[in-house]
Order: sequence, then structure tokens, then C-alpha cells
Amino acid sequence: MTPAVAAAVVTAISAVLRDTGRNGRSVEPAMLLAADLGLDSLDLAQTIVLLERSLGCDPFRSAATATPAVRTVSDLITIYSQALDAP
Amino acid sequence: MSQTTFDSLSDAPAEDRLAAAIAGIAGLEPARVAVVSGAGGSGRSTTEYAALAAAVTRLESQLDAARPAGVVARASRVESLLVIAAACGRQHVPVAFLAEDSRDLVGALRDWVELDDTLELPPPPPGGRTRREFETVPPPVVVATSGTSGPPKLVEHSWDSLLAAARLAEQWHGLAWLLVYDATRWAGIQVWVQALLTGGRLVVPASRDPDTVARSLVDERVAILPATPTLLRRLTTSAERSMLERVAIDRITLGGEAADGPLLDQARATFPAARITQVYATTELGEVFRVADGRPGFPATWLGKALPGGVRLSTRRDGELLVQLSRDSAEIGTGDLVERRGDRYEFTGRRSDVIVVGGAKVLPGRVEEVLRGVPGVAEARVYGLPSGITGELVAAEIVLSDPPPQGSTPDGVRSTALTACRAALEHHGVPRILDIVKRIATTAAGKTPRRPAVAPHP
Repeated sequence: MTPAVAAAVVTAISAVLRDTGRNGRSVEPAMLLAADLGLDSLDLAQTIVLLERSLGCDPFRSAATATPAVRTVSDLITIYSQALDAP
Repeated sequence: MSQTTFDSLSDAPAEDRLAAAIAGIAGLEPARVAVVSGAGGSGRSTTEYAALAAAVTRLESQLDAARPAGVVARASRVESLLVIAAACGRQHVPVAFLAEDSRDLVGALRDWVELDDTLELPPPPPGGRTRREFETVPPPVVVATSGTSGPPKLVEHSWDSLLAAARLAEQWHGLAWLLVYDATRWAGIQVWVQALLTGGRLVVPASRDPDTVARSLVDERVAILPATPTLLRRLTTSAERSMLERVAIDRITLGGEAADGPLLDQARATFPAARITQVYATTELGEVFRVADGRPGFPATWLGKALPGGVRLSTRRDGELLVQLSRDSAEIGTGDLVERRGDRYEFTGRRSDVIVVGGAKVLPGRVEEVLRGVPGVAEARVYGLPSGITGELVAAEIVLSDPPPQGSTPDGVRSTALTACRAALEHHGVPRILDIVKRIATTAAGKTPRRPAVAPHP
């Protein structure tokens, strides 16, 4: 898990919360996306587009990997870290 | 201008009329200007009717000698396109106009010869077919569709349908017409055909930049401005105020996209003396109807009864507008969605432009309307972005107004826009990606594109 990826994921989720009028929540890696942060599927889709812009990849689009389970902020960080490490 | 020139025109077969009109006007008034190119720029030039007529005669004798299977107009100068059209029509040679983005369709026309701005007929392609003699059957005119929401395709027209919408009454004679459309597309062809058949002056601006367009309107004393709502919106929001105030157009003819109420209001405020006509036409059907009352959409009473010309309108269950051109022709789906609002049917968008977010449908035009209503937003474009999670996601671009409203910041305008969308739209219709851009791209046909500007799949 690289600090740069973790920061990008936290920034993206914070931007989604701000854009949807849910300001002022801090985002921590251990948080549950749905239960703690209230993210729905649209919020997640937006987060993925923002991360594609900042990190240059979309691990949810490649057909090679089945859609991994994403429950926590740190799950997202792991998925992007692995995608960026892959050759 | 001699009335008889135009009276005798309507007796001539449709395919002869362009050449006959050019020759007729050149005979009466050789120095009359037919085309102003590069208007509003430093490379302005003019072509007189006499010069056009001479070029038509020259090309006609080449066509008569060679009898090609057909001609693909590859010219980039509007003057050359007019000459090619007029000469091919009168010589009964099929002609095709291919826009830049539809040039790969030329494979279907491989027997045909290509004519560029030199207007020199090349030898026929190796093994290519030629015709021995003058073909008595009137030739077709092939035009590519604009491809706003799908790949462009070739459509074959008769000269009769190409000229059907031209207004020939005396009130239309000798006027200056602005050509902001691509001259090789249906909408552009309609403008230059109209100008030539009525002894008018075709004014081609040096670019579509709003200030250049405004300067062309003023300097060339343009009377009629045919435009898409996207181009008109850009002109009224972005051109220099002082230049716009000097524009003295008589009429604005809108087509290609639906015009909404705010745009019509804005156009009236900017050009109070101009009458606004909305033309509903497609490359496949030609002109279907016009609305001249300056309100969006068309009167609800038009549905289900015969309009002038025999056209009948109806709607499918999902709101798609259906057109029946005459009593014995089939109903044709237009791909345009309409919705009853009070005593009108208003256009809500193209069926193919609908963005599907997690199974819910979003009409991009509706979202754009909300965004444009936000103080500080000059222009907006909404499109669908593919998403692995929800199928598509609503994405938008906005251009900030210049000057910005007092005390506003770009971030402030963006956040106000999102708040306005949340208040006016359903949850899935609120843009998830909202970018501030310097300008919004338009398609070659002058419309707002409905696909991402940059393909998301690298």
C-alpha cells in the first residue's frame, strides 16, 4: 500500500462527499464505505472516475479480474495499489 | 432584379435550376457578388455571379466529354462546391458531398471521380465505369448525415427534395445569408441552394469564433442567420457586446437541434428586430415543418392532423416523434423525443442521447437547461461517461460567463451548479463529473456532442 495511492483515494472520496453536499466528514482507511461514509453505487462510480483521472487506471474495468469485494476505504486503496504494481 | 429570371426557374427541372439561376443572374448583373469567403477575417475574398457562371460552363463541358459515373466533391472552398453542384445537376451526373468526418464512406462510390478546388476533371479510376451519353434519368445527390449520435451514413436524395424547402418568393430575393454550417452537409447545402436560387449573397465567415461570426454579420450586412441552437447560444453569450449591438439581421433560422425557451428569450433580447423560425428537418427526411411563433417545440394541436404539405405527426408510446410525409408513405421514427408541456410539444432530446444510469434514464438536455440557469454559467454540455458500476454516469462541462458575477469564484459557481442540479433533478440525473472548461466543443455540424470528448478507454 503506497502513501500516494492512499492519499489519492482519500482525496477522491472527500471530493465525492463535497460534490454531493456532505461536507466536513473525515475519511479514514478503516471506514466502511456504505455504513460509515454513506456511499452508494453512484458515489462509488464517481470515485472510480476521479481515481482514473488522478491515478490513470481503472481496475474495475479490466475484464481479467473479477470485481473484487470493496467494503472499506482500505479495500479500495489495496485494489488500486495492486493495479498500479501489476506489469 | 428581373422577376422573369426566377419565374422561368421554377419551370426548369430541379437538377437544372442551380446552373440556370447562376447563368440568369450573371447575364443580368455580372458583377453581383455570389460568395464572400473568409468574412470577418484578413483573407476576405469575393466571387461574382459571372465568375461562377463561367466556371460552371467550363466544368459542364468537361463532364459532357468524360461522362463519369459520378462525382465526389472534394473541394474545400464553398465556391467550388457550388460550381460542382450546378454543373453536375445540369449534366445529369450523380454528385456526392462528403464532410471531413465521413470521408471513409467514399468506398461505396469507388467508380466515381473526385473533384477538388482546381475543378479539373481527373481521368476515371482504372477499370472505372463511365456513361456513354447524357443520362436521361435525373441524377441523385448523395449527402452524409451529421452523425451527432451515431456514425455518419450516406443518404441519396433527388434534386427535387434538395430544393423543396427553398423559398423563392420575391421577399427572399437578393439577401445576404450567413453560412456557419459545413457546406457539405444537408443544413449547409440548404443555405447555399437558397442563396443561389434567389440571387443572394452567401457569406462564409473565416471561422466559427463568436467574434468573427458577429463581425461577419455586421460587415457584410447579413440579413438571414441560419444556425444551430448551440452556435446561436455561443454567439449570444460569447461575442463582444458592442459588436452584437450593431448586428442588423432580419431573421434567424434555427435547426439541427431543439431550441429551449431560455435560448429563444436570449436571442430575442440580443436581436430584437429579428424574426426567429425553427426548422425541423433531418438529412433523411428533408424539411418536415417550421415553427415561426418563437416558442419552443410545436403546438400540441399539430399532432394527428395533416399539416401544410401533407405531413402528419404522431408519437410512439415512449415519446418518440413519428413523421408520415404523405398519406401513402410509412411512418418514420425520428429518434427525437417530445413531451407535452401545456399547449405545446417540446423536444426533450434524442433517444440515442439518453444516458442510462443504473437503469434510470437521464435526458442530457434537461440537465443542461438546469446548468445554464445557474448565475455564472454561460454554456453547458452534458454527456454519458461509461462506468463499470452503473453503466453510465452523468458528466458535464460548463463554461463560466465572462465577466463573472460580482464576488463569485469558479469553485463557488461549480458548487452552486451542483446544488441547483440536486434541487431540480432526480438523484441519478445530477452530474457526477462537472468540469469547468474554456469552451465547449461543437461537432462539425455545429451541434453539441453527446459523447465524451476524450475516449475514456485508452
